Amino acid sequence: MAAKKETYTEAMKKLEAIVAKIEGGELDIDQLGDNLKEAQKLIKFCKDKLYKADEEIRKMLDDSQGGEE
Amino acid sequence: MENEAMSLYELNSLVRRGLHACLPDEYWIQAELSDVRSNYSGHCYMEFVQKNPKSNALIAKARGVIWSNVFMRLRPYFERETGQAFVSGIKVMVKVTVDFHELYGFSLTVVDIDPAYTIGDLARRRKEILKKLDEEGILTMNKELEMPEPLQRIAVISSATAAGYGDFCNQLHGNKFGFVFYTKLFPAIMQGDRVEESVISALERIYAECDNWDVVVIIRGGGATSDLSGFDTYDLAAHCAQFPLPVITGIGHERDDTVIDMVSHTRVKTPTAAAEYIIGRMLETAGRLEDLSERIRSEIPVRLNAEADRISRLVARVPLVVQTRIQRENMRCERNCSRLQMAWQKRFIREEHQLELLPRLVMLATSRMEKEKHRLELVDRILKSASPEHLLKRGYSITLYNGRAVRDTLMLKPGDEVETVLATGKFKSIVK
Repeated sequence: MAAKKETYTEAMKKLEAIVAKIEGGELDIDQLGDNLKEAQKLIKFCKDKLYKADEEIRKMLDDSQGGEE
Repeated sequence: MENEAMSLYELNSLVRRGLHACLPDEYWIQAELSDVRSNYSGHCYMEFVQKNPKSNALIAKARGVIWSNVFMRLRPYFERETGQAFVSGIKVMVKVTVDFHELYGFSLTVVDIDPAYTIGDLARRRKEILKKLDEEGILTMNKELEMPEPLQRIAVISSATAAGYGDFCNQLHGNKFGFVFYTKLFPAIMQGDRVEESVISALERIYAECDNWDVVVIIRGGGATSDLSGFDTYDLAAHCAQFPLPVITGIGHERDDTVIDMVSHTRVKTPTAAAEYIIGRMLETAGRLEDLSERIRSEIPVRLNAEADRISRLVARVPLVVQTRIQRENMRCERNCSRLQMAWQKRFIREEHQLELLPRLVMLATSRMEKEKHRLELVDRILKSASPEHLLKRGYSITLYNGRAVRDTLMLKPGDEVETVLATGKFKSIVK
């Protein structure tokens, strides 16, 4: 779980870095294309986290101890 | 027997009259205020409570009211004198009449207040707890935690039967933005004497699987604030302050502020507000993501346009370069031409000048030749006059011995035959 959480944070960091590079004009046209593809992947990943239920997480939390007294 | 039974009203009337008869005066009492609220008419309602100082459990409780005409006068006076609002949790000394109403029951009606007796047990106790937490350096520990992103996995401490928990879940899972949340209830007793140990136990269960959760939410429905005393204890506050996950509390109403509220990461008024807060955080998270993707979306055309402009500029520059080069070559060519022309002109002038000299040369040559001719004639004449024939003609003669001219007598000895040549003829003779 912790790893997955970090991945979201990592994805956002990568995304921010790409945006900074694009806005800073650091990329030539070829690099721009590659970075754009990467950014699209990262955005999809992050959006899925926010809007799509992860059954794996749900199941794990349901199975966890301590839910009932 | 039935005819002898009183109605409830009759009994309550008896109680009222009995009370008035027994307690006809006004009495000064010390009590803690709880659940203070005033309505639109300006009347102020509250509960007076008294607790066991050691266990913190309630030992006495009575409803109280301050009618608007009295409250309008007492409240500003009290607040001005004490510098503190007339709210729950403070201890007051008030003068009351003891009343009983057939429908509403027992209550105390406040007619006066002594502001000098103000800082209540609850407030003082909270202050002491907070001071202790502060001295131990843990008071703000939970507040200093960073709220995780995204805020999705929520461990809820509440009573399973409380309306507040249902409200919270409905609000969260029914959010109109479509965010996904994972919630799980860690049941606890949320009122009465067992609040402290029950909530601490729930916190410990969450702690055991800490990595599974982003945040802890402690929620509770409304109710009288006198029921909140369990949230005003040192142990619970210390657990909450040092919890490794951020704690959000939504355990009371606006007018109540417990110690756990003060040490938690975020304090909201109600369970619904807690859900709204979490949804709001998710909105911020989604907003940041949206902002990034929007910045990419808007930046790409800008970059592509910039590249297109760059290419256009380069294209425009190509003929310019060529043109400049041609102009430069033209100028070079013209410069060379004019230099060539000048050189030719110079040469031509020199040649022309040389052509003008030619007749003069001819004249000079002719004159020289004449002079030489005269000189030759003169030499010829001199040569002719010095010739042997010419000398012989003038009377000189030449004596030869063996064909050679005799210039000295030593060349001869007596008896030698010599030949003498004259201008005309020659003769031989013997030397003696």
